[in-house]
Amino acid sequence: MLDWIWILLTAAWLLPLLGFAVEVFGGYWQQSRRDRTPALIAVACIGAGFVLSVAAFIIWGSETHWGVFAAEPEHGDVPAQQAVEDTTREAAAEDASELQPADAGQQHSYRKAISGTIYTLARFGDLKLSIDYYVDSLTLVMFMMVTLIATCIHIFALGYMSDELTDEYVDHQAHTAGGDHVHRPGRYYLFFSYMSLFCFSMLGLVLAGNIFQVFIFWELVGICSYLLIGFYVERHSASTAANKAFIMNRVGDFGFLIGLMVIWTYFGTFSLGPETIGDETRPGIFAMVRNAEGGLDIRNESGSPVVHLNGSVAEADDAGAADGEAAVTAERTIPYWLLVVAGLGVFAGCIGKSAQFPLQTWLPDAMEGPTPVSALVHSATMVAAGVYLAGRFYPVFTPDVLLVMSYVGCITLFLAATIAVVATDIKRVLAYSTISQLGYMMLGIGVAGWAAGLFHLITHAFFKSLMFLCSGSVIIGCHHEQEMPRMGGLRRKMPITAYTMLVGVIAISGLAIPFTILGMKLAFSGYHSKDAIVATALAFNYKNPVHFLLFLVPLVTAGITAFYMFRLWFYTFCGEPRDRHIYDHAHESPRVMTLPLIVLAVFAAGVAVGGEGGPLYRMLLASEPAGVDVGSEAIDPTVAFIPEDVGYALVGQPARAEIHSVHAQAGAFALIAAAAGAVLAFLLYVVRVVDPGEIKRQVGGLYRFLIEKWHFDTLYDVAFVRPVHRVAAALAWFDRVVIDGILHWFANTSVRIASWDRKVDEGLVDGLVNLVGNVTFRVGRSLRAVQTGQLRQYIMFIALGVLSLFVLQFIFFPR
Amino acid sequence: MSFSELIQSLLDDTTRSLAHFGPELWLCGTILALLLMRLFGWDRLVPPYIVATAGTLVGFGITYFDFLNLEAAGEAEHLFTGLLVYDRFTIFFRLFLTLFLVFVIALTVLTGIPDREDGPDFYTLLLGSVVGMMLMVSANHLLILFLGVEMASVPSYAMVGFLKGRRLSSEAALKFVVYGAGAAGVMLYGVSLLSGLLGTANLPEMAARLNLVVTGEAGMADATVRTIVLSLMLVFVGLAFKLSLVPFHFWCPDAFHGASAEVAGFLSVASKAAAFALLVRLAIAFLGQDPVAWAGVNLSLGIAVGVVAAVTATFGNLAAYAQSNMKRLLAYSTIAHAGYMLMAVAAMMIIRHGGAMAVFSEAEARSEAQRAIGGLLFYLWVYLFMNLGAFAIVAMIRNRIFSEEIDDYAGLVNQCPWLCVCMLLCLFSLVGMPPLGGFFGKWYIFASLFQAGKVHWSMWAVLGIAGLNTVFSLFYYVRVLKAMFIAPRPEGARRADIPWIEGAYAGILSLSVLALGCAPLLVNSVSRKAREVAGVLLIP
Repeated sequence: MLDWIWILLTAAWLLPLLGFAVEVFGGYWQQSRRDRTPALIAVACIGAGFVLSVAAFIIWGSETHWGVFAAEPEHGDVPAQQAVEDTTREAAAEDASELQPADAGQQHSYRKAISGTIYTLARFGDLKLSIDYYVDSLTLVMFMMVTLIATCIHIFALGYMSDELTDEYVDHQAHTAGGDHVHRPGRYYLFFSYMSLFCFSMLGLVLAGNIFQVFIFWELVGICSYLLIGFYVERHSASTAANKAFIMNRVGDFGFLIGLMVIWTYFGTFSLGPETIGDETRPGIFAMVRNAEGGLDIRNESGSPVVHLNGSVAEADDAGAADGEAAVTAERTIPYWLLVVAGLGVFAGCIGKSAQFPLQTWLPDAMEGPTPVSALVHSATMVAAGVYLAGRFYPVFTPDVLLVMSYVGCITLFLAATIAVVATDIKRVLAYSTISQLGYMMLGIGVAGWAAGLFHLITHAFFKSLMFLCSGSVIIGCHHEQEMPRMGGLRRKMPITAYTMLVGVIAISGLAIPFTILGMKLAFSGYHSKDAIVATALAFNYKNPVHFLLFLVPLVTAGITAFYMFRLWFYTFCGEPRDRHIYDHAHESPRVMTLPLIVLAVFAAGVAVGGEGGPLYRMLLASEPAGVDVGSEAIDPTVAFIPEDVGYALVGQPARAEIHSVHAQAGAFALIAAAAGAVLAFLLYVVRVVDPGEIKRQVGGLYRFLIEKWHFDTLYDVAFVRPVHRVAAALAWFDRVVIDGILHWFANTSVRIASWDRKVDEGLVDGLVNLVGNVTFRVGRSLRAVQTGQLRQYIMFIALGVLSLFVLQFIFFPR
Repeated sequence: MSFSELIQSLLDDTTRSLAHFGPELWLCGTILALLLMRLFGWDRLVPPYIVATAGTLVGFGITYFDFLNLEAAGEAEHLFTGLLVYDRFTIFFRLFLTLFLVFVIALTVLTGIPDREDGPDFYTLLLGSVVGMMLMVSANHLLILFLGVEMASVPSYAMVGFLKGRRLSSEAALKFVVYGAGAAGVMLYGVSLLSGLLGTANLPEMAARLNLVVTGEAGMADATVRTIVLSLMLVFVGLAFKLSLVPFHFWCPDAFHGASAEVAGFLSVASKAAAFALLVRLAIAFLGQDPVAWAGVNLSLGIAVGVVAAVTATFGNLAAYAQSNMKRLLAYSTIAHAGYMLMAVAAMMIIRHGGAMAVFSEAEARSEAQRAIGGLLFYLWVYLFMNLGAFAIVAMIRNRIFSEEIDDYAGLVNQCPWLCVCMLLCLFSLVGMPPLGGFFGKWYIFASLFQAGKVHWSMWAVLGIAGLNTVFSLFYYVRVLKAMFIAPRPEGARRADIPWIEGAYAGILSLSVLALGCAPLLVNSVSRKAREVAGVLLIP
């Protein structure tokens, strides 16, 4: 039965690829561009993918006896998970295979990842390149989230993209050289085929069972993003934005590649789970780098710390059985600093993909793509892939890397939120908000809130895709107007859009009613997840007071978040219409577009129901790497490095119990901040106690600083783009003058030699050849004369021939 | 031995022999059926080609069955009191001839020569000729040698003149008859001298007696030996006529020009293959007995054959230059190819001599000789496809534009591109361009020549001439292609729209040529089979 899980997920993964192939070719060959069939195929493929994912989840649940929901949540004094870990640890210490009761193993089987190989591409000695799968509860959650959101967005796009359903599409934002608008055939089918390709790539990324495969799909989602951002390729801004996104991602991927090289060199495998080569089963990366308790095996060898990889310990269960001779003979090691390099490298890839500081600038520009793309690719899924990978690869990250991750997340979330406050383009506000929220996730993972970070990833995916779709609905309703200052009062024209958007805004702001009804807090999903992150950050702060900013900044930013989100909502939907013309022509979107909004609004509100005791959080918790829940203490290796110690860190990490103890406190802080932001927005934009324009003038310098996006684009322009241009110009000059000069000289010389050669050739060689040719031809013609056609001559030739043979015989015959 | 015992042993021998005589018998039966059809007017009910095709296919089937059990046919078996020999070589050539016959009949059906009225006659002649050739390839007796050659030739005369009412055709047939009669006379003279001097006409026995004479006291100085060699030469002249070797080639261009392209294609491949089979048998039978004693004869005859081959190839290629008629051009090309193939025989003889002279070890000499004959057989297979392909395309185009002049082929590529590509493949294969079958045929023969050159330098000279000839031949073949592909089609010229079935026929032939060059497995297996077949002749 367990096999069915990966079979179903593989089917869900491959269906969009099939769809892509059908759509892109079928669409290209179809007679008219007014056919909706490609889009319906795309919807069917991804919808079927969702059904298959849910089926896989149900099979997984029943095979593990729904253990994931049965376990006590950690609201008890002793976290249940920790207790489980304790028992397994004790068992492992003695003899796992014998002492651990069989049903106990079954009970916790939901903690175990299912991995294996779907198809082996090639094997070069030890290197096995294969399509693997690695399925745990996180994979399942991601699958369901991606397919569900993608289905909603596909359906939304059926309506949103319908102006492409024409044989002659006039792009008013693109101009030909002559100044006319660009006329081109509609590309409805192309949009959906790209979307299908993206779904395939994204699901492949989630399903991937080895890090090389992750990299392949990582690049594939990148190329899909490139294609989709540049969908309106005739618009200069769109093609530039596509290039920018692609190139900035390459910067991060460069780090990713370095990380991969380090991993391959020192681990000898790419596989996440256990890998079978021939008859031999080897442990995957995670089992090698971490022991059963989730600790690193660091030893001090010749003055520098070295991490021992548990080469022979395939799984925690086998720990007792196989630590003997194999561990001595085949133990790989990696210098600690290289493990840090590997972690930072992979994290660099995450930075690029998730638009974290300092590679955050591509994401706002990516909003040039159609809005459904922004909703799916650039908020809910692809950009979250960076966070997903950070979570997936958590065991490889050393505490140092995690600290870097926290600070990167912290900087990003603040920076993006401040810019969002001044942005006026509705999609850009959301884009900055996305960056900011991704920063929260990174921060969450970095401060050891593994489940909290991924929790926020899932909830954010729902409410952010909801808000993007709402903005898409607004844009369509206002006839491609994206500037908020020209909207206003749209609540009356498009109520469904407005109130579903409000759900999203409340969710992201983390507003809640601060008391419980029927034992449950009345709060939307964002409250729970952000709460979890802030709580973890606070616990982290208590443990490492030096890093107090890691708590303070997100707390403040929570307020800013609420402020700019409510600002967006008030600006767009409340007050008096600022542009009468737009207001008069605005209309509610058709049902095919509002229905996905409602579905997503329900999920945005309720996906995290139950908070940290709820099903979603528990699903995620089931995949949490071992050892995260117990936390660790800070040990400064420069001061006191203890050989043979499992802990090795500049910072300590909070245990779950510690986090829980500060949960209420953090929740209160966050709620106050959010409420303050919301109220401020209300005062400024509805009640208008102060004119926002006045404030703008008062702090003009700051305003310009923010409008210019902290001058990052300028900085990169000055620091990288222009120097590169200048170097390129110099190189071009060198190329043109020096290298081309040499080449021209060679060319001219050879032409001159060739012209002499030609004379020789034409005069002498050709003369000879022609002579031979003429002679043979003349001989041939003369031979014709022999064939006279006279029969008696022929007969005579027989006689002559025989005679001549006779003569020859007499001359040459040996005597 | 009493009379009844004699009768009994004859009866046993005949029944045993008939079992191995299936394909010939079947073809004879088909001929009978065709004649009876004609007699009773059944040919109005059943098209004669159906009978002919069916009979040939069965004949081919029987041979193919034998061929599949090639390994089973171990030692040579003498049939009909030693008149015929049945061995792998026989089977191999029977297969070749019957397959070729299938192709030729298919071609005649496609191109409509002969018409319904003349069908039975034509197929009777065609099948009769092939029966004669099959006798040639299995001849073990001078009588059968002569009978086989004549039985193959006489129907050919009639077929050349089959286009009744065309002056050219009748003239060609007449020339062919008279020339053939002359050649047959010379050969018969040689045959009678040989059998008279040695007291037998059975080849192995003759070879054994010849050996006695040569190793006798007088040795080579014996006048008998010289006479025998001369009479061998006379027999060779008879075969040279069939092979159209210079200077016994005069009939060839005229006959090919006068005959229809189908008949010309038939003559160019089948009679050549049968004659080569016979020549190889003769050469090995007479010269292989005691190479040491025969050393001088082997060498001088080998060189003589080599010289004839070189002259033939050169003459054929050079004379082809000035031709304007496609069939004449192909006739000269046929002559040239006979020259190339004869080189393999020369190489084989020289290599045998090399074995005797200790240039090669015994085993080396045998394997190299085997290679030479194997190369010849491979060449014949390729030649079957490429030459028949060329003639078939000529016939197809003739049916559309009513011309066989090269100039009238101008610009055909625009009207029947695939056919032109097939022609290109066939002609380039005839030149010997890689990666077509013709390349490997030439390659094997040239390789044998190179080995033979280690024994006597003259073979290297022959090799050089053969190489030069390959270059010469390029020009006149390319001239045809130039007309087809580059020259524009004149205004008002007849259209040549080829039906797909004819195109498919040409395609099969030219793809076979391609496959014999491009499919290493096929090339390997064919050439290995050819070597294996050649091996049975060379068992001393």
